[in-house]
Amino acid sequence: MTTIALGATDIRKSYGPVLANQGISLSVGPGEIHAVVGENGAGKSTLMRVLQGIERPDSGHVTVMDRDVSFGGPADALAEGIGMVHQEFMLAPDLSLLENLVLGDEPVRWGRGALALIDWKSAEAQGRELAERIGIEVDWHRRAGAAPVHIQQFVEIIRLLRRGTRVLILDEPTAVLAPQQVNELFDLVRRIREDGTAILFISHKIGEVMSLADRVTVIRQGKIAFSAAIAETTGEEIASHIVDGAKPVTDEVKRGTPGKAVLEVTGLSAATVEKSHPLYDISFSVHAGEIVGLAGVAGNGQIELMEALSGLRRSIGRVELAGVDLSGLGADRRRAAGIGYVSPDRRQEGLAIEASIEENTIAGSHRSRPISNGLWLERSAMKRVALERLSRLSVKYGALHDRVGSLSGGNQQRVVFAREIAVSPQLLLVSQPTRGVDLNGIAAIHGILRDFRDAGGAVLLVSEELDELQVLSDRIMVMVRGRIVGTLGADADRREIGRLMVMEGAGA
Amino acid sequence: MSNWMDRGLGFAVPLLIALSVSALVLLAIGESPLDTFSLMLTEGFGSPRRLASTLSAATPLLFTAVATAICFRAGVFNVGVDGAFLIGGLAAVVAGFSLPAELGWALAPLCLAIGSVFGAAWLFVPGWLLARLEVDEVVSTLMLNFIAVAITGYLVNGPFLSRQSGNNVTPPVHEAAELSRLMPPATLHSGFLLAIALLAAYAFWTRRTPAGLEGAWVGLNRRFSRMVGVSVQRTIILAMVLSGVVGGLGGAAHGLGQLYRFTDGFSAGYGFTGMAVALLAHNSPLGMLIGAILFGALASAGTTIQLFSDIPLDLVNIIQGIVMIFAVIELGRISIRRRAKA
Repeated sequence: MTTIALGATDIRKSYGPVLANQGISLSVGPGEIHAVVGENGAGKSTLMRVLQGIERPDSGHVTVMDRDVSFGGPADALAEGIGMVHQEFMLAPDLSLLENLVLGDEPVRWGRGALALIDWKSAEAQGRELAERIGIEVDWHRRAGAAPVHIQQFVEIIRLLRRGTRVLILDEPTAVLAPQQVNELFDLVRRIREDGTAILFISHKIGEVMSLADRVTVIRQGKIAFSAAIAETTGEEIASHIVDGAKPVTDEVKRGTPGKAVLEVTGLSAATVEKSHPLYDISFSVHAGEIVGLAGVAGNGQIELMEALSGLRRSIGRVELAGVDLSGLGADRRRAAGIGYVSPDRRQEGLAIEASIEENTIAGSHRSRPISNGLWLERSAMKRVALERLSRLSVKYGALHDRVGSLSGGNQQRVVFAREIAVSPQLLLVSQPTRGVDLNGIAAIHGILRDFRDAGGAVLLVSEELDELQVLSDRIMVMVRGRIVGTLGADADRREIGRLMVMEGAGA
Repeated sequence: MSNWMDRGLGFAVPLLIALSVSALVLLAIGESPLDTFSLMLTEGFGSPRRLASTLSAATPLLFTAVATAICFRAGVFNVGVDGAFLIGGLAAVVAGFSLPAELGWALAPLCLAIGSVFGAAWLFVPGWLLARLEVDEVVSTLMLNFIAVAITGYLVNGPFLSRQSGNNVTPPVHEAAELSRLMPPATLHSGFLLAIALLAAYAFWTRRTPAGLEGAWVGLNRRFSRMVGVSVQRTIILAMVLSGVVGGLGGAAHGLGQLYRFTDGFSAGYGFTGMAVALLAHNSPLGMLIGAILFGALASAGTTIQLFSDIPLDLVNIIQGIVMIFAVIELGRISIRRRAKA
């Protein structure tokens, strides 16, 4: 009788000075669903890469079916029966689902090697049998790219089962699914469990963990922070371990002195577009000289709210900036009215990564004096403005015409702030300002935000780091499923914030 | 490397490989590669008359290359410059023989303007469809090329067919509408000067105007452009319309300066050769100048070379074909990037 289907013992792995895994041990038995949760960057992905043979651990070992193994590469892990379903599906979109099912391991009717004939009848019979066993229906002749996402995901799972997978790793499998599809997936995963397959379920949605898993392990800063049977814990307890003391508070906390209301939002709603979260009837205000933090589990509508306020996403409801109605206006008009925007996606939206540092620094001001005289660009003025802006935030760079992508993450983000703050906006919408930024950069960016606030600016701040929100914010609003469920003072107990974040079963 | 290519040397590698392959072909058929290449060089650039003939052949390519580059740098995959060239050419020629000759010196500029307006209107349609309805511009502009061939083909064989000629041509334009020849008897005409002026204007537009900056940003990153307040829709439509203006002017200059009339088969694939030039030049003005002259030299040397040697014209086709392969590779590279972004 096997007791450990897949296990890790004291895994350590570092990338240069970054200690991604610092002695992690966990295991999953046959017929068990083990959830692994933690914030972005906690070390979940590194652990999974080790378990799949993609990375070699610095020390520690991996156990499969009660035997210690050493993986030379991903193929070894696959041969041991370890299969992973990634967030981004790996199906070939232009092949049929059946072709995808057998790709790489086709049943052969006649001949061998390059001359072999594929036995499509037997392939389809196998597919049907596997689908029946886990209780789903699949139209095998459909083009994979045209099939609904959850069907693609199911086929990927069936494909792994067909190849003899005994340990299934699911990497945030619900991120791309609608609620109804999530239920179907969970039913399917439970049936697979009954067949004796071991399942590692990676997620940061606590509601899903509570409803699906048998055990849960929380990883924080590369270490095991908590591990328990689901029956013996609660969502709040898990949430508190995910967020608790995630990072020591290093910079001093200094609160602002709020003045009159700058941003007033009344009854804002927005529809879902692909892979986004709808917003329901949101009302709040942000005052001058105040940083308002927006907390929530990732994917609960925070980013969508920021986009709606900046005019990048269509919404209904009233948005007023210092008494001026901006409802229905697009991004260009809202920017002109005094809303600055720091995108959560620095490389794809916050910057034009292939363009020069100079262009990225002056973008948005390129149509007004002194850079443009109405007809053409005054290159010397453009250069002067860029230099001024960059030196104000002490951005370190080589030359103005270098690609902005050549800068470090922290300096890239400073370029974004240099551009956004230079035009003295009344309101700054800031999302994930320190993602991918080193420690010194983080302190500098926090300083920039505080200075802006102290000069009378209003800031709405989204961050997945609760510490960051608590250090910077004067008030914290909590968002769950596209609604604001509560507002707390910045000194509120983190457990209280965590409790609000997982309200209504939390998650999607 | 990419910086180096952008400065206009994107042709060096394709050309070297093309010359090596043709050298092998020449050796195989028992000819001396060196003699042949030096003959080609002489035929292309060896005397003022030959140089004029090369520049004359390069003229339509300069127009179509600039027209293509305006769109490609904004990430708009316009392959319909050939259609704008035909439509602009026919419109200018029809104006050139049907407007009163008494307009005198004003006639030629007027005809050019009419050609550019028709070209602009022609490409405004796919631009609007792309910006407002997200209709794929590759498909729409490619289809519009066929429509342009069909419409101009019908008109030149029907309503505008010349009664004085046995061929499928329109009547000639008034003498006043003709663009002056710069070095008679060579066909080099003042349309070449217009093309150079447009190339300079393109260089200025890309580097020194807000709209030019916006075009580049939209080409690099549409989300960023939207975020900093640039209207992506307006930029796309503007790129298409400007491309139509330049393409239409190219056709008008070709009709008024080179042929003096519109004929069936008016464009010898100029839109597509121009696209290859823009692709290999990575949209850089200097690169497009070099590329257009290179293709012009091949075309003009190719026609005379077989008069003076045993080398078949196919040799020129081999060289052009190999350079084209590199253009297609570049096209594939861009389209993969484009799909990855979508």
